[in-house]
Amino acid sequence: MLIDRNKCVGCGNCIPICTMGAISVVKGRSQVNQDECVECNTCYRTLRSEGKNPHWVRGWRWLLRQFHLVYDAPPDVCPTGALTPPKLEWPRSLRSDFSDPTTTHKSTGGGGRGTEEIKTNDVTGRLPRGKIGFAVELGRPGLGTRFSDMQIVAMALAKAGVYFEPNNPVTYLMTDTKTGMLRPEILNEKVMSAIIECRCDAAQVPEVLATLKRVAGEVKTVITAGIAARCDPDDSVAYLEAARAAGFTLSLNGKTNLGLGRPHFEERQQAA
Amino acid sequence: MTNTLHRQGTHESLSRDYVIFVTVAKGINHEGAGSKMQRFLRLAWEEGPVNIGTDKKNLITAGGDVEKMIAGITHKSHPTAVFDNPEAIRRLVRKLKQEDLGISVTISGLTDEVDEILRSEGIVRHSIEHSIGILGRTERLPTRQILELSSMCGHGCVSHNHVRKMIDWTKMAKLTPKQAATYLARPCSCGAFNIARAEALLTNAIEMA
Repeated sequence: MLIDRNKCVGCGNCIPICTMGAISVVKGRSQVNQDECVECNTCYRTLRSEGKNPHWVRGWRWLLRQFHLVYDAPPDVCPTGALTPPKLEWPRSLRSDFSDPTTTHKSTGGGGRGTEEIKTNDVTGRLPRGKIGFAVELGRPGLGTRFSDMQIVAMALAKAGVYFEPNNPVTYLMTDTKTGMLRPEILNEKVMSAIIECRCDAAQVPEVLATLKRVAGEVKTVITAGIAARCDPDDSVAYLEAARAAGFTLSLNGKTNLGLGRPHFEERQQAA
Repeated sequence: MTNTLHRQGTHESLSRDYVIFVTVAKGINHEGAGSKMQRFLRLAWEEGPVNIGTDKKNLITAGGDVEKMIAGITHKSHPTAVFDNPEAIRRLVRKLKQEDLGISVTISGLTDEVDEILRSEGIVRHSIEHSIGILGRTERLPTRQILELSSMCGHGCVSHNHVRKMIDWTKMAKLTPKQAATYLARPCSCGAFNIARAEALLTNAIEMA
């Protein structure tokens, strides 16, 4: 993100909105730490431009200060429309691709940071019984991640023998899905978060979970991970015991696919 | 996406937080899905959601114009509705089962509660996903109070500092909890932010001050 210094009046409204804490006021104008900015455009989308004349706003602010008064603008405005999204070149464009939920990934043609995961599993059959899915997200909540950390985790998971989801945007950035190595020119790029999606046999779950625990100590950010499966006919869930045995406390909340999609994967298989 | 999977909170607080959305499988059942998704959001709206989202707009940024939101839905949309009580979800699930729209439905919320609702409606859940928690440099994270609010935007667009500011402003009575919750919901473009729960959490913050 860029901030037009000629327009900025230093109101500071953009500072708390910034998801990465990358904006500060220097000499009365907001400025963006470009190395930390993840180009999520949250400030631009959230702060409505009031379109006011910067000279007029600065004049009023100066006048109020003479009387020891301050005017707090509503928290969702940029008085002068000083925020300016830049045109991004590769590899910096990855920052926006992964951080701005309103953009579409050029690699996958999809929105968001991952794929449909289990949300269409009733129709796609992507995660059959006997397989366990993982969605390993780095940078969330609120810290962001560099692709160098993504590579550390991806390489560890590759060694554990997982299968990387081919339509996931991080998989697209791998030079070799057998090793989990990423393209070298992207390693210093920072994004709000990115998700490694992979699956393995149920028997491999303890090893994958142990890998996640170990590799979490090697990265500079946080990892939020999800574990998914097709429910068994008796409504049981294949990974519960393995996760607990590995020392993980599963969340109280989760995502449930109701199985209302049509045609069901099994129906499509039979028809074929 | 894992965007509604890692919402933080106690069982009591999460019992007022359910997100329901529909998804089509590209290349399989996307044809004609736009009208089905429109129907989904209309049915959801009838049950009084606290927020809805579609096509990069939430209830706040769309100016409350629900009809325009519904009319704009295509097979590429991701309509979402958020509820603060499980009974509304139960009624909506019943309607969705009856209408048999043929598109995948996912509910994000307390898994035991969701499972009970599905059983009572004669539905056997198909697939499930849990969070195994937060690993790594957790010492860099803010307090649980802040995470409970910020994690309601799964894409991370509600910053920790924005939450801090809204907590401070409600404590200073510059904003009511409802106003602050509405400001917090703005950056969450997919509409998964639970405005009613945020209001309750901000009210608690004032009481604890």
